[in-house]
Amino acid sequence: MIRLDSVSYAYPHTGKPALTDLSLSIGKGQCVMVTGPSGAGKTTLCLASAGILAHEYGGKKEGTVMIDGRDVKSYKDLSDIASNLGIVFDDPEAQLIFTTVEEEILSALERRGLQVEEIEDRLRAIMELTKLSGLKDRAPHTLSGGQKQRLVLAVTLCLGTGILILDEPTSELDEHGTDGILGILKGLKAQGRTILLVEHKFTRMREIVDTLIVMEDGHIRASGIPDEVILDPAIRKIVLPNFTGIRERTQNAGETVSSEPLIVVKGLTHTYGTDIHALRTIDLTISSGEFIAIVGENGSGKTTLIKHLNGLLKATAGFVSVKGKDTSKTTITELARDVGLVFQNPDHMFFADTVRLEVAFGVDNLKIPDRDEVIDHALMRVRLTHAKDLYPRWLSRGERQRLAIACVLAMQPAVIVLDEPTTGLDGKEAREVMEVLKELQLAGHTVIIVTHSMEIAQNCADRVITMENGSILSDVCTTGERS
Amino acid sequence: MTEILQYVQKEGFFHRLAPLTKILFVITVGIMSIVSTSIPFLAGVIIVLLVIACIAGLHREVIRQFLLIAVMSVILIVITVITLPGGQTLFVIGGIIPITTGGILIGIVMTLRFAVLITAIQLFVLSTQPRDLVHTLERMRVPVDYTLMFVIALRFIPTLQIEGNRIHEAQLARGYNPGSGVGGKIRSIAPVMVPLVSNSLARSNVLGLTIDLRGYRTKIRTPLRERHLMQMDYAVIVVLALAFAVFTYSAWIQLV
Repeated sequence: MIRLDSVSYAYPHTGKPALTDLSLSIGKGQCVMVTGPSGAGKTTLCLASAGILAHEYGGKKEGTVMIDGRDVKSYKDLSDIASNLGIVFDDPEAQLIFTTVEEEILSALERRGLQVEEIEDRLRAIMELTKLSGLKDRAPHTLSGGQKQRLVLAVTLCLGTGILILDEPTSELDEHGTDGILGILKGLKAQGRTILLVEHKFTRMREIVDTLIVMEDGHIRASGIPDEVILDPAIRKIVLPNFTGIRERTQNAGETVSSEPLIVVKGLTHTYGTDIHALRTIDLTISSGEFIAIVGENGSGKTTLIKHLNGLLKATAGFVSVKGKDTSKTTITELARDVGLVFQNPDHMFFADTVRLEVAFGVDNLKIPDRDEVIDHALMRVRLTHAKDLYPRWLSRGERQRLAIACVLAMQPAVIVLDEPTTGLDGKEAREVMEVLKELQLAGHTVIIVTHSMEIAQNCADRVITMENGSILSDVCTTGERS
Repeated sequence: MTEILQYVQKEGFFHRLAPLTKILFVITVGIMSIVSTSIPFLAGVIIVLLVIACIAGLHREVIRQFLLIAVMSVILIVITVITLPGGQTLFVIGGIIPITTGGILIGIVMTLRFAVLITAIQLFVLSTQPRDLVHTLERMRVPVDYTLMFVIALRFIPTLQIEGNRIHEAQLARGYNPGSGVGGKIRSIAPVMVPLVSNSLARSNVLGLTIDLRGYRTKIRTPLRERHLMQMDYAVIVVLALAFAVFTYSAWIQLV
């Protein structure tokens, strides 16, 4: 259904090719999963396979791409290609145009030249398949990440194509959201659709994958039956995240944990508006030098809790203190000296022209002495010294995540809090980030991560706090139950 | 977060009108408010619009925007009074800037016009589903690129609000303190606007591809759940025509 013959491509104004002599053939009804480090060319492969590179992009192109037995260049335009192939990009927000779920799906259905009755039937069927029936009047910005991605998939299914290309559809989703997408993909595979899936979550998707392709530097490093491909230890490292051994490295870190409480949370309650109870009477004590993972589904209150630690949110009731300072009476700038917060999407913070200037921003804001040494040291800690003069947005996703950590690290806070630090990273990059965080703990920082992954929590943290519906469900450390 | 200019799901009288009727409503009210310089007339139009908002069940959403109108009004009046002196001088600020009756009157007229236009457009946008609007404008032969530009601009207001807020929080967490007031706003431009614009530009590429892949530029469309003119639409159009006729007649008499 899709065939690439010796395809090479370089984006305009870049010397380095994004794809190099890449050949690939996907048969009817097959599900092919492509994985690899960020910057390996996975998204470019999606664009090439969908004929988008041929029709919409400049740059240096070589080789042939066939969709459904026809050269992509013989299709009139993207709309013509879309009658054979549907594509879902990783950012659902950019693919939603209208203001309600039903409108969005209808707007795609009515452009296919179908009869009114057929449109209404398809609308019902697609809404059921993607479990969106109960959300038909909701606006896109009020949907969760998983719901948004299901909606984008629903709109793509409206095209009724036999081929689907999905570029990291679950990268921003929690376990529950990923389950939703996996369920739909299983149904589509059973219908005989051809699927090209770019993903990092191999373990979750394994049951639907017929062929696994591992990309690196614009070419295919390995390809074949999944179980055979992952026999190679180097490939296994990329495909299967492995965090074992990270916590053990900190066995002696117990010595750095002090009994002195660093953060004290008492009876913390937070209500958004009048009726959304995000946190319900949380009690928590965190000591200096701990490595804590906060886990829980979306909406369980994890992010709301960590935003209280640096004063971004003020308690509706209760009390939070950091190093003895009441956060309700301390400014955010003052608290930033003690608690550094790295948000989920590093692109929400980058604005400077170079990596070095980006790190300097926080250092200058807090007027930290020995500015240059502090910045260099932070970049060295996250292994980004080589990139110090580059434009931050040119870095790979894994490097951008480490830069975000450096920005906060350079402000020398005692506590570093990270919201989903491994989002969108492959196994190797995710491990690198977690190793950096462990090193920070060994250097005396208190590290708190919010994560959906129990694997990361159990293999990296010394203490795992599970949240549900705004309350702490369990608080477990390696030595047993805490509360 | 207060939502700005977003469609509100309701069953009010304005929601039941066809988009074409509402477009005619905005155009008629717009022309009348731009042509008129009468303060009582403009104030009267605002009252009528508020009454319509109450009947349509949109008064809460409309009144919420009055803070924005109040702020803009103050700015408009100040600029007009300073730049358009006329009539009797009441007093002089700092020996240079004369405050005149003419300047104040023009400032008030400009403010009222602004309030009329904002309120009328708001009534239209709050009660019209973007898909219906796209269909109507398509039937009026407006190129689809312009229609989608308008719809997408409205759709992305809350998304940009949410993202702007996240970026602001991320920078605050980096010890950033731009301060309050105008100086603070200017200082916050680079750390907040640069990521916001960069992320939006990256997003616009995918958005453009999505529009093409969904076939919006092809002229094919199945007429589905179309909004045709109903009896109530004809009644409203007659009322608008009468109001416009009376307005034109009074304006003509005054001119004569």
